[in-house]
Amino acid sequence: MKSLKGDAQLAVGVIVLAAVYLYMDMRLPEVRLSDPLGPKAFPALVGVGLIASALLLLFERRHKLRINPLAETSTATDEPGTNPGKSIRHSPLVLVGMVVWTALYYVCFDRVGYLIATIVFLFGLLTYFNRNRHKTNIAVALGFTLVFDLLFSLVLGVPMPAGLLSI
Amino acid sequence: MESLYGILHGLAVAIQPTHLLYTLIGVFIGTMISHLPGIGPSAGIALLIPVTFGMDPITALMMLTGIYYGCMYGGAVTAILLNTPGDAAAVMTVLDGYPMARKGRAAAALAIAGVSSFIAGMIGVTCLSFVAVPLAAVALHFGPTEYFALIFFALSTVGALNGNSIAKGMMAVFMGLGLATIGIDLQSGVPRFTMGLTQLQDRVSFLVVVVGLFAIAEVSRMVEGTLGGTLHSVKVEGKLWFTKKEWKRARPAIFRGTAVGFLCGAAPGLGGTLAAMLSYVLEKKISKHPEEFGHGAVEGIAAPEAATNADTCGAFVHLLALGVPGSGATAVIMGAFIMYGIQPGPMLFHTQPDLVWGLIASMYIGNIMLLVLNLPLVGILSKILYVPPGILLCLILGIASAGVYSFNNDVFDLYLALGFGVVGFLFRKLDVPKAPLLFGLILGHTLEQSFRQALTISNGDPTVFARSPIAAGLLVCAAIMIGASIWSKRRPVKDLQLAEARIAEQRLAEQRLAEHRH
Repeated sequence: MKSLKGDAQLAVGVIVLAAVYLYMDMRLPEVRLSDPLGPKAFPALVGVGLIASALLLLFERRHKLRINPLAETSTATDEPGTNPGKSIRHSPLVLVGMVVWTALYYVCFDRVGYLIATIVFLFGLLTYFNRNRHKTNIAVALGFTLVFDLLFSLVLGVPMPAGLLSI
Repeated sequence: MESLYGILHGLAVAIQPTHLLYTLIGVFIGTMISHLPGIGPSAGIALLIPVTFGMDPITALMMLTGIYYGCMYGGAVTAILLNTPGDAAAVMTVLDGYPMARKGRAAAALAIAGVSSFIAGMIGVTCLSFVAVPLAAVALHFGPTEYFALIFFALSTVGALNGNSIAKGMMAVFMGLGLATIGIDLQSGVPRFTMGLTQLQDRVSFLVVVVGLFAIAEVSRMVEGTLGGTLHSVKVEGKLWFTKKEWKRARPAIFRGTAVGFLCGAAPGLGGTLAAMLSYVLEKKISKHPEEFGHGAVEGIAAPEAATNADTCGAFVHLLALGVPGSGATAVIMGAFIMYGIQPGPMLFHTQPDLVWGLIASMYIGNIMLLVLNLPLVGILSKILYVPPGILLCLILGIASAGVYSFNNDVFDLYLALGFGVVGFLFRKLDVPKAPLLFGLILGHTLEQSFRQALTISNGDPTVFARSPIAAGLLVCAAIMIGASIWSKRRPVKDLQLAEARIAEQRLAEQRLAEHRH
């Protein structure tokens, strides 16, 4: 994705974001008590700055394309620290799955309670990422959750939600 | 003389048993984090901030600072043993550290890295003590006009020098500034960009952004790594020390690296990676044996390691003296200062001498602790490299979630952190640097207040920024910085490209080996 096409998409996305931001800024009430600028001026400058940086990115992209016309189609090499190859092709689906699983965990966090939700969440993740080691996975999920629950509720004085266990 | 008294006073604070214990915990955690590829100091500090709630601010900040320089210290271990930098700043150590380890000199390479870091750390803290006080005295005369110009300069530097594109750097800065405008405007009482959500009226929590952007987003990198294969490390064998000949070659490189690193750290936004790169290039240029660089040259380990550790101390100069962070990790630490109700800046030396000098003195003590941790115990500590990444990434998500929730006891923060995690992932994929966003978020509020106050004082006359010589000078410097950055087309330095290419090659070879075994 670190290609010039990605840069163009990023620039367009930022311009849209800046336009929405500026529209919301325009709708703010005009309040100037002792302050000659009011609450709208600074965000307006930020919005203009966002658009300017997006245009600069498009300019950079045009410059790179002029130097290397094939750059648009060629994809950049993988960044160091990650393994290239077929795994990367599979990972977007895994990442989407992880985001959904995490969002589900957050939905249940208050309702089901920290202990149950976290044990299920961690065990689910570990079952996928640390396969065929069920005993270790259960021990990690249980151990981590209990230690953190005790740490936050007893040591730090921040009780985690009890959820179903409070009934 | 004031600095000397300050250091002595700070030592009296830092040697209290509780402070010693938490400094040790901080540097130990920092060393551990640096051994985990993918988790940098910013994510590490952010994850640990919730654990410090309820602690005395001095103790908490000593621990968080310890994590930062502990991370910088230990980044070399994975660079030398795994060919993967533990943190971004250790990327240059890969070039000569790993080849030296492959030649059976892993122990010597680790010892050189440890001693270089120690010497640079001690010199760096001493420089910090003597530079910060006069700088803070100058900054005491700063008004809103000068503060606006100073923050504008810092943000310009960060935006222009982070990442491979100035446009993306500036984009991230403006996004951070935009996030900083969310919430109730303190001067007019108008809620801005809250979208009717009461949770956003008190501004976007800095902790939520940092954990999402750095910790949760980094999990995605680990997922890609986990699915790709396993890491193969070089074993540490033999005596953990270097020969006289190696020391003779490393010694001048350490001092040069320290000077380069401290200067880079003292300039906001340059960061440890650039410091390491510049020191490496300098050593290669002046070496009598430049052909040895890239094949296990001792100077190629000593100089970048010294530079990254001195850079850490340099970054604290303007955090403590001016209230402007010098790197992504110091921006997180500045956020922690604010969370404890302490505003970093020149007044800190007068209002909180125990905190400032205690913190500086704890860095001396922490450096000694790190030398002990990183030399005799490196063999034991490096065992963490064998923790399955699948378990690690699950635990990071668990810690991040518990930490974010504990901040406000509100599930809304969890959704927000997950959202910023996705943003962080997109930033990585689109090659947008994250540190400038953090700078914008942390400094945005002060920037806006200074801007509005300066214009209020001058009755709305914008020439006020040109009439103050300091402000005008800083604004001209910012303009030069941006102009020079656009003009130079931001070509990556050849040595850095070489280091990154080598890491990528190694990964590919490892994956092929793993596939062959299966």
